Amino acid sequence: MSSMVLSGDTSGAITITVPAIAGTNTATLPAATGTVMVSGNMPAFSAYSSALVSSTASTFTKITYDTEDFDTNSNFASSRFTATVAGYYQFNATIAFSGIVVVGAASFVTLYKNGSRFLDGNYAAQISGSTMFNSVSGIMYLNGSTDYVEVFGFQTAGTQNIGSIQSTLKFNGCLVRSA
Amino acid sequence: MNITEKLTALYPSLTQQDFLTVITLQNDSDGKGDYIAKWEHPTLAKPTDEELA
Repeated sequence: MSSMVLSGDTSGAITITVPAIAGTNTATLPAATGTVMVSGNMPAFSAYSSALVSSTASTFTKITYDTEDFDTNSNFASSRFTATVAGYYQFNATIAFSGIVVVGAASFVTLYKNGSRFLDGNYAAQISGSTMFNSVSGIMYLNGSTDYVEVFGFQTAGTQNIGSIQSTLKFNGCLVRSA
Repeated sequence: MNITEKLTALYPSLTQQDFLTVITLQNDSDGKGDYIAKWEHPTLAKPTDEELA
């Protein structure tokens, strides 16, 4: 038998297929109740921006992302990730601050959940004349219907340009455990 | 003069910590500019639009 089909009570079916490759492999299901995670229900995305946004001191400024590396479940749009699968997601973001001219300024990047500040990165002192990179990462629960995540930057002095000034500065994430 | 400068001119006692805790200034990068998203200062009243104009 190369495959096994499990039909639903009323509709639908799942086919379990064994690859046509020699050898014996074992897939063990855990002794626990839950949803089996496969690539089709484990969203992952990565995006970056080609444009900077202007940031006023002491103001949380949304970072815009216009280029996607990948977005496996089409959950990323308008610079926000909106989960359609409920569960626990890992997010990472790094942004750059440029135009730093005030000695003693500081900055950080934060993840917003549903329009409110939710998870801060490290609050770090800037160096005048340099470019400052700030990162944030963490896990948060998303309900799979309305919850969404955005990236905001904050700095304490002057007007600075913030964003992903190069394609290596990403906002990315993935589902690490279903609800 | 931006919104931060207007607020600190109106209320010189405001500190950086206030902008990280009881007051949230925000810009959604949608072309509408900076605005007060949250004002929970225990003693200072939220400025009116006229005061910020």
